[in-house]
Amino acid sequence: MNDLSMDRRSFLVSATVFAGGMALGAARAAGQPGRSGPWGADAPAGIELSPWIEIAPDDVVTVRVPTPEIGNGAMTQVAMNVTEELGCDWSKVRAEFASIHRDFVEGGSYTSGFLPFFSGHGTDPVRMKQALQLGASARERLKAAAAARWKVPVDEIETRPSLLVHQPTGRKLRFGEVAAEAGRIKLAAEPALKSQSEWTFLGKASPGKLNLPEMVKGETVYGIDVQLPGMVYAALMQAPAQGGRLKSHQPEAVLRMPGVRAVVVVDPAKTKGAPVKPKATFGLQGTAAQSGVAVIADHYWQAKMALDALPVEWDAGPGAQWTSTEAINEARRAILAKAAGKSIRKAGDVDAVSGGKVVEGLYATPLCENATLEPLNGTALVTGDAVEAWLPSQDQGQAFWVVVDETGIAPEKVKVHQTYVGGGFGRRTLSDDARMVLAVAKEYPGKPVKVIWSREETMRQGRYRNPVMTRFKAILDEQTGLPKAVSAEANATGMALPMGYADMPYFTSGIIPNVRLATSDLPLNILTGAYRAPCYNSHAFITETFIDECAIAAGIDPLEYRLRLLGKWDKSWSDCLKIAAEKAGWGKPLTKGEGRGIAISNWPKGALRNEGTTMCMVAHVAVSEEGTISVKQVDVAFDCGRVANQDAVRAQIEGGVIFGLNTALNEEVTVKDGAIVEGNFDEYPILRLADAPRLINVHFDALSNNDRFEMIGEAPMGPIGPAVGNAIFQATGKRLRTTPFRKHDLSRTAADIASETGVVVTSLSR
Amino acid sequence: MATVRFRVNGKARSVDADPSTPLLWVLRDHLQLTGTKYGCGIAQCGACTVHLNGGAVPSCQVRLEDLSGADVVTIEGLSKQGDHFLQKLWVELNVPQCGYCQAGMLMAAADLLKKNARPSDADIDGALSNICRCGTYPRVRMAIHRAVAEQS
Ligand code: FES
Ligand code: FES
Repeated sequence: MNDLSMDRRSFLVSATVFAGGMALGAARAAGQPGRSGPWGADAPAGIELSPWIEIAPDDVVTVRVPTPEIGNGAMTQVAMNVTEELGCDWSKVRAEFASIHRDFVEGGSYTSGFLPFFSGHGTDPVRMKQALQLGASARERLKAAAAARWKVPVDEIETRPSLLVHQPTGRKLRFGEVAAEAGRIKLAAEPALKSQSEWTFLGKASPGKLNLPEMVKGETVYGIDVQLPGMVYAALMQAPAQGGRLKSHQPEAVLRMPGVRAVVVVDPAKTKGAPVKPKATFGLQGTAAQSGVAVIADHYWQAKMALDALPVEWDAGPGAQWTSTEAINEARRAILAKAAGKSIRKAGDVDAVSGGKVVEGLYATPLCENATLEPLNGTALVTGDAVEAWLPSQDQGQAFWVVVDETGIAPEKVKVHQTYVGGGFGRRTLSDDARMVLAVAKEYPGKPVKVIWSREETMRQGRYRNPVMTRFKAILDEQTGLPKAVSAEANATGMALPMGYADMPYFTSGIIPNVRLATSDLPLNILTGAYRAPCYNSHAFITETFIDECAIAAGIDPLEYRLRLLGKWDKSWSDCLKIAAEKAGWGKPLTKGEGRGIAISNWPKGALRNEGTTMCMVAHVAVSEEGTISVKQVDVAFDCGRVANQDAVRAQIEGGVIFGLNTALNEEVTVKDGAIVEGNFDEYPILRLADAPRLINVHFDALSNNDRFEMIGEAPMGPIGPAVGNAIFQATGKRLRTTPFRKHDLSRTAADIASETGVVVTSLSR
Repeated sequence: MATVRFRVNGKARSVDADPSTPLLWVLRDHLQLTGTKYGCGIAQCGACTVHLNGGAVPSCQVRLEDLSGADVVTIEGLSKQGDHFLQKLWVELNVPQCGYCQAGMLMAAADLLKKNARPSDADIDGALSNICRCGTYPRVRMAIHRAVAEQS
């Protein structure tokens, strides 16, 4: 039997080291747990078995989750992981956000593992093991407490959902009845985890997200919904050309308007700087305040009306050099023409290859805006030497340090509360939005200030998708039709990730003997950032369109071509291709004006076997006489190793298909004199229900069962665009090398359509 | 400023604000009913959809001065316990992702089914033009189909 010390503190401290070097958390500060809700009472309702797990007398288990919930179900997944080992009844589990403030004052209660506060990577194995261990350790303490109460050996005790059963006598105790004693148990050693084959919940059940019942009642509190006593509202406008400066404004013109309290200026020079070295998850680069002005009023509508009426003049600054989108593209083409990019993948000698058919193309993707449906916002109360902020962040660990840095207030005096998030897609990762909230609120101390970006402000002050322009060239082998040499120059802005480009197994596996891939940077004043699956969302479109062109030039079916290129690589790539194609009816005849296209990619580790999520899609597309594109069906086959919650994975893939489809069909923000032109959804179209494919078939048959639970939210951003573009080519014979597709004229006459033959040359040999 | 009296979720309310204030902000900032969401402010996204005198409207387009005597139902008033058949199906089918658009989706769907017990796919397409950035459309359609099947 385990040592039964009744010292709660020693339990908590003894539990600081678990399997895998995980820190469970230090002793909690007496009487002040510092939790921050999703919303609700500030006092703990039950007994903590660690800062992560609280069990109430009525058996309700609260799991505190550091990752925010942005719609991907990350929060629910962590609670599921705990539940698997804890053995509690799922209907008694709830989840709430862990407090970054608590983490700080307790010295790292939640700061362990890989990006603990980041909304991505919700089911990745590193975090999963932690949550499983937390559940197992809590369960063993409950068992030890029951054994002590009954004075029986602990190995005679079994758990049933939320129950402890003494096998020989059939006596029972509920978890809630022994939670208090369990909290004081000191175990000689932390328990080992069950093997996955013993799991009864993970991979078996597919519960919906825990927060849905409140959500469908409109009770979920997003950042924009925070209500505080005495709260005032701010409407914000930043320099339209990013990096520009406020030249002049006339507050007197609006100060007498109803409800208006103040006009405040955001001056980037007034950022105070952190008093200690900040530990922001992603660093503070890219989070700088932007010159701006805000009107503060009793209500948001008053603030917005006054801001609209405020006479303002801006100094556009160096951003004005980008007079148009075409000017940016011109600069890109000039860089590509020099062919002087940094080489990031090299094999053989591309220059020594001659003879054979040449396939060449210039491809490009534009600036796009994340367009989270909840506009950017945040609420903060700055008082003397303390600050409290309520933020819809994608990473509390980032937001917290940005708040510290902007206000200069000591971190122990900074409380950041995570709210629910109405969409992230990368936009709320860096917390530049949090900085603007604090930059405004610190100019109006003593009152909670809710700062709201209008839709137009949100769209025109983005951290845009990194646009990519790439020139690809292949020389095809006369016999096989496969490339014997591929060279490419890519140009991007800002973050330069290789996913979908230099990590594609076409170029890394050795199947193409001569490869040279290079990349260069075009510095823009327009700010770029993370947009769902950064860089990959461009590169995969470009690479998979180019490979399709090679297949057509070689006269080989695009599926067959990819199978030949990938046949010696990680089998799951071929499996994904074959299964998606088979399920989609690849090769079956289609009506004129329709086509099927295929594409495959991996986020984020295409160059490695059994890593990342490999995903293949086949899109079935119709293009009308007028040139309207409709995507009728998408078949998806993928390998992320294993899945812990099948329906959650399906939902992410469905959503990812639609998001990525919108990127390819619709999205582009354009530039005029350094500023973004589009302001709202009338100018930046988003697919509606009527436009979404009726059939998005997610097939689980390509799962390799390799021991990994890889992330799933980003992977669909790769194959959907090129699958649709390649299908459009099959339907119309028109090759689209740039997105958005809606800007291409695909109209044909009825006679043209009647004479379209489809371009697939060979039939599929398998 | 003007005081306007109307009903929200069955309760008599009176609001004193600028007559041009959109119902959206009246609900959110004056009546603390934040279930109704701001997404665009220009009748594009549908996140702000409420029922006004029995029909779905974007509340960002209705001004306070036009509300005198009106009857408004928001997501908070769609059912007493969150047990409208659509709300139950939305949970069962795991429809929402971030959920920000879903109050508007639900209000639009409830309005459709009230007026048309057996909507075709084209009817659904026509009635639900709400934007969902997370891409929950397949599940929204599935839930409406299920609702029709279960109600009949
Ligand atoms: S906020 Fe009213 S339709 Fe978008
Ligand atoms: S669920 Fe996120 S916008 Fe619809």
